[in-house]
Amino acid sequence: MTGPGGFARRLMLAVLLSVAAGSALAQTEITFWYAWGGSEGQALAELIDEYNAMQSDVHVRGSFVPIGDGERILASLAGGSPADLVTVWDWMVVPLGYGGALLDLSPHLESVGLSEEDFLPGIWEYGAYQGEKYGLPTTLNVYGFSWNKDVFEEAGLDPEAPPRTIEELDEIAELLTVMDARGNLRRLGFYPNVTSIYFYAFGGQLYDPETLEVTLDHPGNVAALQWLADYYEKYDINLIRRFQAGWGDMASPFNPFYRGQIGIQEGGQWEALASTVHAPDLNWGVTNFPAPEGGRADVAPVQSSFWVVPAQAAHRDEALEFLLWLTEPEQSARFAAALANIPPRQAALDLPAFGETVTPHLQVFIDMLLEGYVYTPPGLPVGLYLSEQLNQAVNSVQDGNTTPQAALETAQRNVLRELEKYD
Amino acid sequence: MNQTPAMRTQRSADGQVSAVRGRSRMTKRQRRDLWLGLAFVSPWLVGFLVLTLYPVAASLYYSFTDYNVVSAPRWIGWRNYTDLVADPLFGTTLYNTMFLAIIGIPFSLILSLLIAMLLNTKVRLQGIFRTVYFLPSIVPAVAAALLWRWFLNPDYGPVNEFLWQLGINGPGWLADPVWSKPALILASLWGVGGSMVIYLAGLQNVPTVLYEAADLDGASVWQRFRFVTLPMLSPVILFNLIMGIITSFQAFTNIYIMTGGGPANSTLVYALYLYQNAFQFFRMGYASAMAWVLLLITVVALIGIFRTSGWVHYEGKR
Repeated sequence: MTGPGGFARRLMLAVLLSVAAGSALAQTEITFWYAWGGSEGQALAELIDEYNAMQSDVHVRGSFVPIGDGERILASLAGGSPADLVTVWDWMVVPLGYGGALLDLSPHLESVGLSEEDFLPGIWEYGAYQGEKYGLPTTLNVYGFSWNKDVFEEAGLDPEAPPRTIEELDEIAELLTVMDARGNLRRLGFYPNVTSIYFYAFGGQLYDPETLEVTLDHPGNVAALQWLADYYEKYDINLIRRFQAGWGDMASPFNPFYRGQIGIQEGGQWEALASTVHAPDLNWGVTNFPAPEGGRADVAPVQSSFWVVPAQAAHRDEALEFLLWLTEPEQSARFAAALANIPPRQAALDLPAFGETVTPHLQVFIDMLLEGYVYTPPGLPVGLYLSEQLNQAVNSVQDGNTTPQAALETAQRNVLRELEKYD
Repeated sequence: MNQTPAMRTQRSADGQVSAVRGRSRMTKRQRRDLWLGLAFVSPWLVGFLVLTLYPVAASLYYSFTDYNVVSAPRWIGWRNYTDLVADPLFGTTLYNTMFLAIIGIPFSLILSLLIAMLLNTKVRLQGIFRTVYFLPSIVPAVAAALLWRWFLNPDYGPVNEFLWQLGINGPGWLADPVWSKPALILASLWGVGGSMVIYLAGLQNVPTVLYEAADLDGASVWQRFRFVTLPMLSPVILFNLIMGIITSFQAFTNIYIMTGGGPANSTLVYALYLYQNAFQFFRMGYASAMAWVLLLITVVALIGIFRTSGWVHYEGKR
């Protein structure tokens, strides 16, 4: 305190120190549980690094936490100390959100000017329930109707003419199917796996998109299940199950579709990339699902995992801000391209980061999404209970225990009863 | 067993001591020892109270509520229990679980006893054989499950390939609702090493004098087994039976991996359905009720076993 020079020096030092300390203290660390390993996780890690480098307020610490059935996530939520940003399956979003464990994103999305038009058609309501929106889809998967052209040719069929009606499908499936000397299947002409696709193709629906009312016993669903039941009976469900047990890993050259063990299947858009890796010589096409007269010829089944912010997260605002950045068109495009998925953001489709990766096959899927009848798994507080009830209905019809009508009525009744708990 | 009287006296002496010196009469040193002892077991004690007793008690409470884990539980009385009785899958899963237990346990008891007896004969490389037969039991459950899934693969698996060499078109095993449970039992027999080791220990405790006496009386091999080995081994058989019941009532991991409950619910066992309710359907209250019903069933089964355990011979008690 002797001279003015000494005072100024000290003041300067104090200011510098407090600024340094302040900036160090101000940096908030947020934890982000993501569900991708390998090159996909790498792509996400790069985005995280980029975010960490472009600002100094928040440091995002990402860790690879496989979702499984969400046991770990559920425990962290119940325990009140969740990560700040978490990746979950779509069926977990509404049960957790409606139960109060997740942040309602709608006011925040609104405040940054995001609305339905910013997302692909049919996506805005995905993960929302009774006007609250509990998460944002990471990247979209969409199923198409894929056929193996070589298998068509082998059976003497026009490889460029996939079946367009249910009758044609039945006919072609039979022509493509091959049995061996032991009486086992060598090739299954057509493999229906996701039952609900045909519910929609037959004009049915799992729930009313406006009222969210569950409609498992919709006449279209009953008709579709009857058709599937006939199919299983014709080819013997046990022979199909047996054949199925011998299929190789889907993400490998032993994928049954790549090997010609299946002629026609529901294939996800990821096949556009995966097939070039595992089966570069595969000669295949993809198109809309066929439909009976009066049905829907443009069904686009969409699925996604979700990013959610737990209501009890220690740094909700920072996590939300990072989430909004991560789902901006540019980042969305880059991440979707790395996963061979489709970005949920409309503007991302036209960006080079995604556009450059679009192959003719992938374009078919994108067109389906843009122009088709998009449906997503029903987001209800009961989680997988609804789809399990559907499985049970399919099972009991396959075993010949009951009629499709009765089976679906039972499923409908059970789901409604379960939903009563959440009124 | 000639030690028993001595041990009894000791025990009763102990009892007297603690009876005479009650709580109030503890010396300073004894009190210190008590606290010290409690302190030493406290990690276990606290762990038990917090991580076992509390969750068990909580699950009893939750079993009377609607509880989806993230919202507050809502009291609904006995409804989970009445719902359970009305749930058709409750019967299905109970049947599947009982099937695996009632068919699987005798197979495993007999096979492990057979192997134990073979491994108890004095042959060269006895130690190596014992190790080899025990080895599968230390393979992690997940790895074993994956291995068996390949082994039983209807088209590429060695089992069906072998059957085909015999001119038999083998079944779909895990892919066939009729064969899936037998397939699981077959796979479970791979893990008999655990009970085998216990049998081996039991066999070595059978006094050779009894065999010598039987020989002198001119007993055949079967008679030696039936009237010496089996009675002497019966407590061990009872033990293996009880452990078998407990583990097969709780069967989960291998089935979750090998079949996931399919095809057509044919391997949907109780614990698997409980898990689905808890984590996939957000019905933790219902799952808790299921757990308590399973406990009840297990207790009833075990009481039944004990009540009918007249066939068990305890040394020196006849």
